[in-house]
Amino acid sequence: MGKNLWWRMGLCLFLLFTFSFSAQAQQKIIKIGAVYPLTGNIASTGLDCKRGVDLAVDIINGKYDLDLPLAKSEGLPNLGGAKLQIVYADTKGDPKNGMSEAERLIAQEEVVAMIGAYQSSVTKTASQATERLKIPYVCSDSSSPTLTERGYKYFFRVSPHDAIFAHDQLVFLKDLEKSKGKKVQTVALLYENTEFGSNAGKYLKKYAEEFGYKVVADVSYSANATDVTSEVGTLIKSKPDVLMHASYITDAILFTKTFKEMGFAPKGILTMAGYIEPGYLPAVKADGNNIIIRSTFALDLAKKKPLVAKVNELFKKKYGIDMSENAARSFMAPFVLADAINRAKTTESEAVIKALLETDIAGKQVIYPWKGIKFDPQSHQNVYAQGTLVQIQNQDYVTIWPFASAAKDVVWPFPSWKGRK
Amino acid sequence: MKKFTTKQISVTGITLLVLLLFPLVITQTYIIHVMILVFMFGMLGVAWNIMGGYAGMFSFGQAAFFGIGAYTSSFLVVTFHVNPWIGLIAGGVVAAVMAAAIGYPCSNLRGHYFAIATIAFGEIVRIFFNNWKLVNAAEGITLPMVNESFTNFMFHSSKLPYYYIILSFLLIALVICYFVAHSKMGYYFRAIKESHDVARALGVNVVWYRLIAIMISAFLSAMAGTFYAQYILYIDPESVMLLAISIQLVLISMLGGAGTVMGPVIGAAILIPIAEFTRIWLGHKGTGVDMLIYGFLITLISVYQPQGIWGLFANIGKKKNG
Repeated sequence: MGKNLWWRMGLCLFLLFTFSFSAQAQQKIIKIGAVYPLTGNIASTGLDCKRGVDLAVDIINGKYDLDLPLAKSEGLPNLGGAKLQIVYADTKGDPKNGMSEAERLIAQEEVVAMIGAYQSSVTKTASQATERLKIPYVCSDSSSPTLTERGYKYFFRVSPHDAIFAHDQLVFLKDLEKSKGKKVQTVALLYENTEFGSNAGKYLKKYAEEFGYKVVADVSYSANATDVTSEVGTLIKSKPDVLMHASYITDAILFTKTFKEMGFAPKGILTMAGYIEPGYLPAVKADGNNIIIRSTFALDLAKKKPLVAKVNELFKKKYGIDMSENAARSFMAPFVLADAINRAKTTESEAVIKALLETDIAGKQVIYPWKGIKFDPQSHQNVYAQGTLVQIQNQDYVTIWPFASAAKDVVWPFPSWKGRK
Repeated sequence: MKKFTTKQISVTGITLLVLLLFPLVITQTYIIHVMILVFMFGMLGVAWNIMGGYAGMFSFGQAAFFGIGAYTSSFLVVTFHVNPWIGLIAGGVVAAVMAAAIGYPCSNLRGHYFAIATIAFGEIVRIFFNNWKLVNAAEGITLPMVNESFTNFMFHSSKLPYYYIILSFLLIALVICYFVAHSKMGYYFRAIKESHDVARALGVNVVWYRLIAIMISAFLSAMAGTFYAQYILYIDPESVMLLAISIQLVLISMLGGAGTVMGPVIGAAILIPIAEFTRIWLGHKGTGVDMLIYGFLITLISVYQPQGIWGLFANIGKKKNG
């Protein structure tokens, strides 16, 4: 009996010690909430985003010889070396979970800021929650233009949105004419009909007309269609110089196969999203060659930007795979937040918002070919965010635009399907 | 109509008192959120039950009514600045009219065929809204944040008003369901459920009473839809009109006990917290174990309590009395 009592007292003391220690350690931890679709039908994308975020936190918390914000110091120097900790929550891709998880992380886990969501519809509700609760939200992986059109005070976006991507594609066509003498007059638009595709289609149309191109076809379709011969038939009949396509992955594969079968080969095929997902190339192999895709990131940027190679090396060491576009996009948000909190010297919301508005991260400190990160005072969209264009050449994604960051020259016009394997 | 026993009155009173005091004692936001979802899905389950449990029309298209309610009030708020409370009624009316319009041609469909028709209806409505430019098609409707007040049906600083509003909606639905179940109409419904031909032979106007059941159900579902829109502040066809929502409602009602007043509420009170807490507890690990547990529990309930959980409660009550 007596022995037992001693044991218990010892255990109590031990627990007390550990608790008081962890309480002390907790003072140096800054919690940030992250919502992603970690289970459900797009879990693979959510987990990809999570990898990018986790690597970013490693770099911020540790000491790395990299030209990224806060990489060279351990933690946040202005807050006594405080470390970041990401608290993840699963949304399953459902907007109502986006809201409730953001609220829970803020109330229960006491996170001081939020990142993530990936799907724009979930980012919408999660950022509504942060707006209500006055907590900063930095997003670098959702691309719906409407997110930064709401005039929210606590929401910031680092990455480019679909309207910027659409605009870039038309600037590319102009550049092509200016510096390579390749003229384009007509474009055909093809887009899937959920929020992403229809928004992209809307902006492509708007900018195409502004830039003086004639839109000869405007075709929308359902992304889970199993046969698209009639859509491709319409495109062939309209004889466009360039096809612009906004798709997800399964429809990207289906269309590529149908283009080949029906011999549809305009001068250029400019696409979005689906064509750059990791599953696309293995499915279509050489048939994907010469297609141009919008992107924020490509590994061959390393040729002109050694930072990209160094970051990818760390990524590969940690996960055994190359950094994907999704991981690369989500990678930046923790840096932007850490940088702002460090300058604000506090985690108090209003001070962090003020610091975010004063954000000025140089172009050499980001892993994308941008001039840097600086937020528009009204919309809170990063004014330097820009897309790049990659082209599939020999079954590999190579950066071809902006021409200044290009790793290889663009193949133009798109060669006809005859004689291709 | 039968009289209530003292025991029934006191149990109801105590439950109600507990629910009224609950958010004042347990103040964690996410628990309140889970309770709000329980009430909302409970209400939708009660609405489904009037049509499915009592009148025997298995609907797999309830999400369409829910979505129409959400869309009607939100569209009116955004486009014409109509007060959401008026939108609430308007949504209910639109949904009920839609229900009648679709219910009438389906009045001779029975059993499986009716279920198939409702799936088709739900999907048609979703695809239609997904492409309907007037209501922003796939982009959905974002409700602007305005000052919080009861009139605006919007609250930012606390979830309590949402909690009490949806609790009262649920009570309204339960009262309607109770009266339907214990009135002459309720007996007609059950007669129709057993057999159309027998009901007709007894002089019940089958088409008419089926329509009434569908319309009440649609109206209540639409009310829940408006509540959802005002609570989440963003709707799109993929979040309010999914077939998965319709299936979840059937599941809730069947597991709780179809054809009983309280069954769907019990179903919601069990299934929603399981789904939410397993996600919170395990979802962030990205392993999908939470969904396995959810599925396992549903299987367990269907194997051991196929008449629904409410049957279990009722049996216990009977045994004690007997």
